Amino acid sequence: MATKGKHALSLNILAKCSTSKARACIMTLPHAEVDTPVFMPVGTQGTLKGLVPDQLRELDCRIMLGNTYHLGHRPGPELLEKAGGLHKFMSWDRALLTDSGGFQMVSLLELAHITEEGVRFKSPHNGTEMLLTPEKSIEIQNAIGADIIMQLDDVVHSSVEGDRLEEAMHRTIRWLDRCIKAHQRPTEQCLFPIVQGGLNPDLRTRCAKELIKRDVGGYAIGGLSGGEAKSDFWRMVTLSTDLLPDEKPRYLMGVGFAVDLVVCVALGCDMFDCVFPTRTARFGCALVKTGQLNLKNATFASDFQPIDADCPCTCCKNYTRAYLHILANTEPAACNILTVHNVAYQLRLMRAMRSSIIEDKFPDFV
Amino acid sequence: MKFSVEKVVGGGRLGSILPGGRHEASVIETPMCTLFTKVGSAPHLGYEMLKRVSNIPDVATMSLGGLAAHHESVCKFGKGLGNFTALKSNIIFTTLHDASSAVTSGKNDRNGVAVWGKGGKFKMDPSLYVKVQEAFRPDWFQALSDGDTDRDTGKKRLVKSVNNTLDFLDSTLQLLKESEILRDSSLIGAIEGGFDEEERQRSARETSARPVHGFLIEGFEKGHSGLDLFSLENFSSLLTKTLSCLPEDKPRIMETAWSPLQVVKAFQLGIDVFSSVYPYMLTQKGQALVADYTIPPKSPSANLESEKSEDSSPPHSGSVIDLNGKSNFEDFRPVLPGCDCYCCSNFSRSYIHHLLNTSELLAYVLLMIHNFHQYFHFFCCLRNSAREGTLEDLQTSLELQNSCSCHTS
Repeated sequence: MATKGKHALSLNILAKCSTSKARACIMTLPHAEVDTPVFMPVGTQGTLKGLVPDQLRELDCRIMLGNTYHLGHRPGPELLEKAGGLHKFMSWDRALLTDSGGFQMVSLLELAHITEEGVRFKSPHNGTEMLLTPEKSIEIQNAIGADIIMQLDDVVHSSVEGDRLEEAMHRTIRWLDRCIKAHQRPTEQCLFPIVQGGLNPDLRTRCAKELIKRDVGGYAIGGLSGGEAKSDFWRMVTLSTDLLPDEKPRYLMGVGFAVDLVVCVALGCDMFDCVFPTRTARFGCALVKTGQLNLKNATFASDFQPIDADCPCTCCKNYTRAYLHILANTEPAACNILTVHNVAYQLRLMRAMRSSIIEDKFPDFV
Repeated sequence: MKFSVEKVVGGGRLGSILPGGRHEASVIETPMCTLFTKVGSAPHLGYEMLKRVSNIPDVATMSLGGLAAHHESVCKFGKGLGNFTALKSNIIFTTLHDASSAVTSGKNDRNGVAVWGKGGKFKMDPSLYVKVQEAFRPDWFQALSDGDTDRDTGKKRLVKSVNNTLDFLDSTLQLLKESEILRDSSLIGAIEGGFDEEERQRSARETSARPVHGFLIEGFEKGHSGLDLFSLENFSSLLTKTLSCLPEDKPRIMETAWSPLQVVKAFQLGIDVFSSVYPYMLTQKGQALVADYTIPPKSPSANLESEKSEDSSPPHSGSVIDLNGKSNFEDFRPVLPGCDCYCCSNFSRSYIHHLLNTSELLAYVLLMIHNFHQYFHFFCCLRNSAREGTLEDLQTSLELQNSCSCHTS
């Protein structure tokens, strides 16, 4: 795929909503053209919970996520490099995005010790000490070979305030510069900085203004979706998008519930990721307009409809809720089947949003 | 269902089955295997993924164990088990027990038989059994039978199991006279008797006297036991003697988990229809079939390479490889070079090893595709070999390929 300029990514804005800040774009990456707004399913360890890449292609998924923390541990960057990168390893020829491994800092906080140098973890797999520096994170991400890579940021939970939050914000900027310096493949992989600052508008503004000074291809908005109050969350999102340049994509990390997706698209975000659709499939839950169906529940025992009569996915074309109810309680095949539906659901939602933006009918959609 | 022998090959038969039932299906050649399913679906493979496997058997075996408890739902559904499970174009053969697991002993009596599923025990007398089958509408169905025996079972219990099975068969036949729904379904009689020659032959003779369409020979182990029946010195002669009491023009079915080599042996004793549970058992262990079934073997490099493993077992080659082994970490070749299955066409040993190592479901999806593909391919080769008179060569080739392996079957 041809890419313009030196960032391995170019964004073409097709349409803007006249009422909200929503935009519909085409993002061109080395491995794929991605229509935005886009939802990126998460394939943590180099696989999307039982799906083969062909199934994702058939759902017209253009980009998915891999997780640097996990892949850096197993199979490790050396093996991935020998395999020709994660694309070749997992047989996925479209776009990939890797996170930095930093989010695990928040989730494994009692095991992590953060210094200016980097983050010390104790691996939950075998207890060995790991040090993740900005340089190391970029090195692993260079080996993985994703189209978009993330800076290592000093992530703090959105409930944190005061000195720690300010320290994290400044450190994130210093770590960005170290990441940019360490990046070995800038024309093949686009590095995104991450706007931090928690729920503090002043810190967030200062952070964004600093990040914009660096010459990068896109931006991520981080440090949110950690259980904060919705109104605070949305306020920080819209503040961030106001500050970030129009002509570059905005990636809101960790957001994937339908309501949040719609609101944040309206607030000017283009890219989203979340483990929720794939994770909930593993527990036998299918996504529908009204929320989710817990198919393990006995109420579905004689329900012979598909999950969603309007859904064109292979799950809904072939299976009834009643049979999925039985399968979900015993067989791993159900995971693959439900994951297909949940990913299809998310992608259909995004496609519908995008069409409505292009037709300037987004407010009706909402 | 109609079966006819086209050609006798030693002790085995090349045959053809006109499946009957709901389908206008074309002739199926034997020896054949059926598609093994768990709770009505191919293990790890939904409808979409199953389509990626070549040469799927026409007949899908579904055990009542995982499904019988849901018969009321399936009855309400009203279109039978094949439609319910999205395997609508397959001929559905219902057996009693899941061929991949052991069956809990001691729960059968002269009133009925216990099958096992997620919810535990489901006991059926002939009346409930027929009700369940009417909800399922199978094309072929195993008669209710008491196969709770193995080589340690005493004579008294063996006699009971044969008697119970015959009584259930007779009660079932009586009930079936009134069943409009099951009119076109083919009843398969079960042959019992454990390891007692007299009981085996009695069971065979008596069952043959009833109007059944085929025979399922069971009762050598209690479900899947992991025992290699061919390692027991009297097994082959016992099976031969049992089959000699059965009519030639009806198929002989066995649900045992058998490797290709064991299938070749069982075929030569007279078995026509096999289960494909064996590739599933391999998949669950992270193992893959890599033998060459062509005569002479085409790809010496694939099957005679030696593999060093970390543990103390000898380097093994031949029919089966273990993708868990650390030697796969940097091995970017497909599981079986030359195999054109979906797994080998797209993924490497290294990737599958990674998936197993990280407990990812996709490992089993890919291995199941490969192992089914290879097992179904083996059956094509078996039929060709029988036709061309090269069975002995096939058996020798398989024995050679197994010889250094940790699998001695």
